[in-house]
Amino acid sequence: MGGSRMDNAARRAIRITETTLLLSALVLFIVGTTSGDTFYLRLATEALILGGLALSVDLLLGIVGLLSLGQALYFGFGAYLSAVVLKEVYPSLALSLLVVALASAAVGYLASFIALRSKGVYFALITFGLAQIMAKVIYNTRELGASDGLIGVPVLQVWTPFGVLDTANPGVLFAITLGIIGVLYAVLRYLLTTPMGQIWRGVQSNEHRLEFIGVDPRGPKRFAFVIAAIVAAVSGALYPVLRGFVSPELLYFAVSGNAVITVILGGVGTLIGPIVGTVLLTLFKSVVGTFTAHHHIIVGIIFVIVVINAPKGLVGFLAGRLTRRSEGAPHGRD
Amino acid sequence: MDATNLQASSAVLQADGLSKQFGGLKAVELVDFTITRYGVTSIIGPNGAGKSTFFNLVNGALLPDSGNVFLEGEDITRLSPSKRLAKGMARSFQITNLFSDLTVLDNLRLACQFLESKASLLRPLKKSQIADARCEELLDEFTLAAYASMLAGALSHGHQRRLEIAMAMATRPSLLLLDEPTQGMSHADTHETAQLIAVLGEHTTILLIEHDVDLVMTLSKKIMVMSQGEKLAEGSPDEIKGNPAVQAAYFGEAV
Repeated sequence: MGGSRMDNAARRAIRITETTLLLSALVLFIVGTTSGDTFYLRLATEALILGGLALSVDLLLGIVGLLSLGQALYFGFGAYLSAVVLKEVYPSLALSLLVVALASAAVGYLASFIALRSKGVYFALITFGLAQIMAKVIYNTRELGASDGLIGVPVLQVWTPFGVLDTANPGVLFAITLGIIGVLYAVLRYLLTTPMGQIWRGVQSNEHRLEFIGVDPRGPKRFAFVIAAIVAAVSGALYPVLRGFVSPELLYFAVSGNAVITVILGGVGTLIGPIVGTVLLTLFKSVVGTFTAHHHIIVGIIFVIVVINAPKGLVGFLAGRLTRRSEGAPHGRD
Repeated sequence: MDATNLQASSAVLQADGLSKQFGGLKAVELVDFTITRYGVTSIIGPNGAGKSTFFNLVNGALLPDSGNVFLEGEDITRLSPSKRLAKGMARSFQITNLFSDLTVLDNLRLACQFLESKASLLRPLKKSQIADARCEELLDEFTLAAYASMLAGALSHGHQRRLEIAMAMATRPSLLLLDEPTQGMSHADTHETAQLIAVLGEHTTILLIEHDVDLVMTLSKKIMVMSQGEKLAEGSPDEIKGNPAVQAAYFGEAV
């Protein structure tokens, strides 16, 4: 059994998933905008936003090997900061994204000094605790709307090659969200082709060994932590643009935990898998939710079935099928 | 100190009065040892003699209670393993210690990253020519090219060891520390690894810790025998073979 064939299969599985996702988005965009039925466009936009959060969880969990149970901290931070910028400073999406990216980098950098002191379960618990603290602080801050959150985030005008467009238009917002999540995804994909990405995988594989080949893992881990914070926060910054409001629930464990679940369903360490996992789970919850309020039970059952039968998630399952198919063909010895 | 420094200039590695205690146990007790340039210098001794502790004091995994370690005349006693690497000291591990879910090439590539500038961290891998060139050399030199795209964890034991040594050699160290490189190997693999070490020794200074006494006798130019944390004897293979204290402490009981 050579590693290369499995590697190729994984790469192909990722490419197939990317293409499928992009084509589905295209079909949805065309059908949604021409038919005027905007429910699924808005649902898909929300799914992509949560997909960005899952992406940041996967960078830490699937690439570097750090399980964050508090990634909603950065997601919610981005959402609140974006809402404040859009409401109080200037209603510009570019401005809010820029402010959120810079501020979340600073917050992530500071938090990394607390979280990266530990590994494994302790890292998970610290990230969980930090998010709980931030959620409680916001919940008790009257200036941020306390338990009610902030409402009345204005509709934005966005300059595009097709003229000035309005984010109240679901097609426009869907396209913008797809573009921004796409950029975040592309940046992470790029980083994986650099020595930095290789060191990240080295940290996951055998962190202690790195020191003996002259690589101090602390810097690369901190860098990953900050990048993950930015990815989560920039995704979160889109949330108030879609919904027009933000609330403390965005920072709750349900959001962090849900992101981890979608990462595992989609395929840990594949980056595209978590986005697809989020899209499917969001769609599924919405559809099943119209029939029963107990959809969490069904989601739980599906999660158990997937973890038992396809522990590497959807993309891993696809890669496995591709490997098995190529196994039938004659091949040289490794 | 002047006299020792003069001596150190001809030595690659010099240990001065190294001691280390664990609780009440004197694991290493006042050991002096010098390794001169090129060839294989070995440490042998029965189980619990303090070889591994001495080895770890030299490589920086442990800090000594007292004594000093000099590399090329420079005091490195308190330097971290990664700083030691920067000074030219590299090591392999007793228990195979690879990035087992990365490919052979990726393992080597990580080991070669040290040769690149920090600025290269965020540039595409394809653009780092120095590391790439060194990886190619290592794949050739250690005949691992055929396995480049295999996962390191899927290699045979012998090949994993070879990869381990190749990774240690990535930075062209002035001193290579090998911790029981043939442990758990088949006879054929042991023979092959011995040849590899002999070839490496022609242009590298190697410190070898090894259980296999025959292997040590054929490979080494100089041997230190340890027993109960102390240096029992030191000399050429022939001197060691003829030493009655060594016969009693080591060959008498352990083999």
